[in-house]
Amino acid sequence: MYCIETKQLSFKYSGGAPVLQGIDLQVPEGCIYGFLGPNGAGKTTTLRLLLGLLKKQEGAMLLFGKEFERNRIEILQKTGSLIEAPSLYSHLTARENLDIMRYLYDFPPKRIDAVLDLAGLGNVGSKTVGKFSLGMKQRLSIAIALLHQPELLILDEPTNGLDPNGIIEMRELLKALNKEYKTTILISSHLLSEIEKLVTHIGIINKGQLLFQGTLEDLQRKQKQGASTIFHTGDAGSTMRILQENGLQPVLADGMVLIPLVDRSVIAGINQQLVAEGVVVFEISSGRNDLESIFIDLVNN
Amino acid sequence: MQFINSLRGEWLKTRRSAASWLCLIGGFLLPLLYFIGALKDHNTLNSLPVNSEIWKVYFFQIWRFMAVVMLPMGLILSSSLMTQLEFRNNTWKQVLTTPQSIGTIYLAKLSAILLMTLKFFIFFNIGMLAAAIIPSLIFDHQLPRDSFPYSFYLVNNLKILLTCMPVIAIQYLISLRFKNFLVPIGAGLMFWLVSVILVNTWKYAYVSPYSYTPMIGLNTKLPAGINILILSGVYSAVFFAAGFFVFRAKREVS
Repeated sequence: MYCIETKQLSFKYSGGAPVLQGIDLQVPEGCIYGFLGPNGAGKTTTLRLLLGLLKKQEGAMLLFGKEFERNRIEILQKTGSLIEAPSLYSHLTARENLDIMRYLYDFPPKRIDAVLDLAGLGNVGSKTVGKFSLGMKQRLSIAIALLHQPELLILDEPTNGLDPNGIIEMRELLKALNKEYKTTILISSHLLSEIEKLVTHIGIINKGQLLFQGTLEDLQRKQKQGASTIFHTGDAGSTMRILQENGLQPVLADGMVLIPLVDRSVIAGINQQLVAEGVVVFEISSGRNDLESIFIDLVNN
Repeated sequence: MQFINSLRGEWLKTRRSAASWLCLIGGFLLPLLYFIGALKDHNTLNSLPVNSEIWKVYFFQIWRFMAVVMLPMGLILSSSLMTQLEFRNNTWKQVLTTPQSIGTIYLAKLSAILLMTLKFFIFFNIGMLAAAIIPSLIFDHQLPRDSFPYSFYLVNNLKILLTCMPVIAIQYLISLRFKNFLVPIGAGLMFWLVSVILVNTWKYAYVSPYSYTPMIGLNTKLPAGINILILSGVYSAVFFAAGFFVFRAKREVS
């Protein structure tokens, strides 16, 4: 079952171009879903729609299997969120900020200590938020999102403002929540490298369109299929011939010859053959085959 | 229950806020000035040039300054500050993703503003009585012989409070609608200034709700058949309802 499911979700701001075009998001229950895309791709708009911060225009939106507009309060009761910059009352202390939410969710005061400790803010609960660093504010926002033990967490670029240690700690915290409480997490980012160690599922969005959706393994398979070895030589024609003689299927692109990724020993043999036949070899390289390049390829194409 | 919890949250947001300080300072400033004046001149209630109903005369004397200038300005500032708190802290998105209806959010914030206004009235009345009684005790003057008119004070406070409602309603509506803090403050001050100028010079000045507290303070004579308390009630109902529809329609407030 999907915790979040959208069908042909489209949106545009008044007088502007479409921001989302027929998004079919499918976030399985209990997964950590990385929602990736460059800045301006439509990630935040999608998340704002899912939380009811924008009015839905076209398509359907189901959370916990229920239509959002008709079950708004019930859905929000089970959802924690952090959208863009931290939303905190700077004249109040961390504890008071949490108190406001505690009243709304009707939780006992001891829960505040628990989430402050969880977010690593146990010793600054009585300090006014205006004196917090951006990283501390981000942690407090996470603490607020976790206060009512939500079944679904929607986090929009939550690592913004965190130092490397903070990023690692947050990653571990989210993993633990997912593992211990089966919390479904939808996390957006514009950097795949930042969340590839965290997520189980990935959705890639660009210019309002979902370009890829699936498990991390699906993306890794795609990555292997897309990787290639590139030959930059003085004679592309001879290079093509030699590669074909070796049973490979070369492709000519921009004066360079590309073949699917092969073992290093095969490349060494072909290089010897090229040199023996008097072909000048300038460079033999493997095309970038990490997840980041797949992401960039998807986005650029 | 949800509304009470929401109101508790809204009230907590006022702690150490500018509106809260404004309420405290605004409530006690005028009584403090009266008190200092009394200490300097050795004047007490007995010095008022009347023989009876001294408490009533004192009430209107001190309320006059408050009702014409300080109260309307305080209402404009506090209503706008309390609503704009969410824009300033970028917290509308937090508020709107909590499990409460749009109506509860609207009503809870409005109730917090009304409670803050009530708190101001309580502070001002405490200050007003202290500024009258303490100098009398210090100089060993006797307090007025006529008994204290509790019901008069209560009724007249309530009347003034009722005339504050349309100003709160309009300021609340504008503050919800516009992100820029200067819009509600600027609009409010402009409405108030025009109203004060017109209050004794234009017979239709009562059409502006911003003129009602100055009218009470200046004891303005109204045309026959015009009751500003009824008008206050009608304006409040209209603008509170309009504010709700504006808030509901403009969901994207952050």
